[in-house]
Amino acid sequence: MSSPLVKGEPFLVTLSALATLLICFIVVPIAALFLMVDPSTMAEVFGGNPMLASQARSAFIVTFKASLLSTTMLLVLGIPLAYILARYDFPGKSVVESLVDVPLMIPHIVAGVMILMAFGRRGLVASLTGIAPEIEDTFWGVVIAMAFVSIPLAVDTVKVAFQSIDPMLEYVARTLGASRFRAFVTVTLPLALKGVIAGAILAWARGLSEVGAILVVAYYPKTVNVLILEWLNVYGLRYAIALAVPFVLLTLALFTALRILQGMVSKR
Amino acid sequence: MIAIEDLEVRLGDFRLLIGRLEVRDGEYLMVLGPSGVGKTVLLHTLAGLMKPCRGRILVDGEDVTNTPPEKRGFALIPQNYALFPNMSVYDNIAYGLRARGVSEDDVRRTVTELADILEIKHLLGRKPNQLSGGEQQRVAVARALAIKPRILLLDEPLANLDPRLRSKAREFLKGLHQELGFTALHVTHNIADAVYLGERIAYMEEGRLVAVLRPEEFLASKYAKPYIDDLMPVFRSFHG
Repeated sequence: MSSPLVKGEPFLVTLSALATLLICFIVVPIAALFLMVDPSTMAEVFGGNPMLASQARSAFIVTFKASLLSTTMLLVLGIPLAYILARYDFPGKSVVESLVDVPLMIPHIVAGVMILMAFGRRGLVASLTGIAPEIEDTFWGVVIAMAFVSIPLAVDTVKVAFQSIDPMLEYVARTLGASRFRAFVTVTLPLALKGVIAGAILAWARGLSEVGAILVVAYYPKTVNVLILEWLNVYGLRYAIALAVPFVLLTLALFTALRILQGMVSKR
Repeated sequence: MIAIEDLEVRLGDFRLLIGRLEVRDGEYLMVLGPSGVGKTVLLHTLAGLMKPCRGRILVDGEDVTNTPPEKRGFALIPQNYALFPNMSVYDNIAYGLRARGVSEDDVRRTVTELADILEIKHLLGRKPNQLSGGEQQRVAVARALAIKPRILLLDEPLANLDPRLRSKAREFLKGLHQELGFTALHVTHNIADAVYLGERIAYMEEGRLVAVLRPEEFLASKYAKPYIDDLMPVFRSFHG
């Protein structure tokens, strides 16, 4: 539970000063980005130039669709893994936990190469099974790249949420006649909902901001980040900023709304 | 009747061994012993949450040793009551009935009836975090009794209550048992709880069942001596 800050206490004043520095570290670059916007370039990108406008629109659609799909995929596969890691001990558990964190440790360009080598046309899965998923320069390639780099954020956050719930609640539910599945769905999952939402927010944010792995796996269809990089190289900084500002604004608004939703869930 | 035969449960280095223990229909059996003797392990094994490596648990002759907890009909009330914090008191009591597919009309009838008996009708709309310790205990008992269990397994349900509330809760449990006649196995390390509530007391030491005695027999036995010795200096300090 958080308590209100008491004015004038030296310890709290020092904490507040240091905290403010960190907030400035985030706010100043955002402000700089907004101050550098050139309204005429913005108007050109979002209407004046049909070619640029169409590229921008489709990049936004691809980015949000792919990131939502990758987050959904991670929740479907990540909740069971997080639950097993939170509740059970088994041989090799620490190896599995380290594996989950691999995408956090390696450069994302390397992650992209690994995905291609595993799931690409000439990848390991294709050579072992004869089935080659179409991921190179496809929408699903973007989804897979986003999901891969977001795994640790989704799984670790949800795992901590499950760990914080007393297993006795599930045991009691079972002695009252609920199956394991019913006890999980009616007791544990609702209690972990705040953590599940937090995991989804972090995984979605990670997916939205990904560029390294996507560049290697699927340059096309272009996501907003890939397009920003391309416009920076081809047209210069003004055009990159014109695309980046609405993207930052939109994600900021979305994540603020989700945090409010998360707060409402925890107050229920 | 619930019977335990040649039960052995291992938990790391700890071993629980119960040769034979019976809980008769309608009996309130107390399991007494110091902390760490395996009382909770016994309770969890009976509830089906832990698997014994040897022995049998019988209900009226039927072997339920490998029956999963949800099919066993043994209702557990843990020390912290484990009320579901995401549900109202009503939904907590209704939980086991809904899990069994009972119709909402019958759920309402049973919950209201139990809430009347346990005097918690005014709490039905509240969440567990809005209840006092004593109220939580009543809700936990109502939730367990709602499924008409073969046996009620109580794990130190009075331990978290302050002394005044504890003696009231003790009286409440005794009165409720006399009124409803359910079968109960209640573990405690408190001799007053054991003697006041138990029709018989099963005494445990170091993972073993040592004796099963009536309360008056227990008080006269050597097993009661450490508890009485513990209290004597306190009494002497008051009487010089």
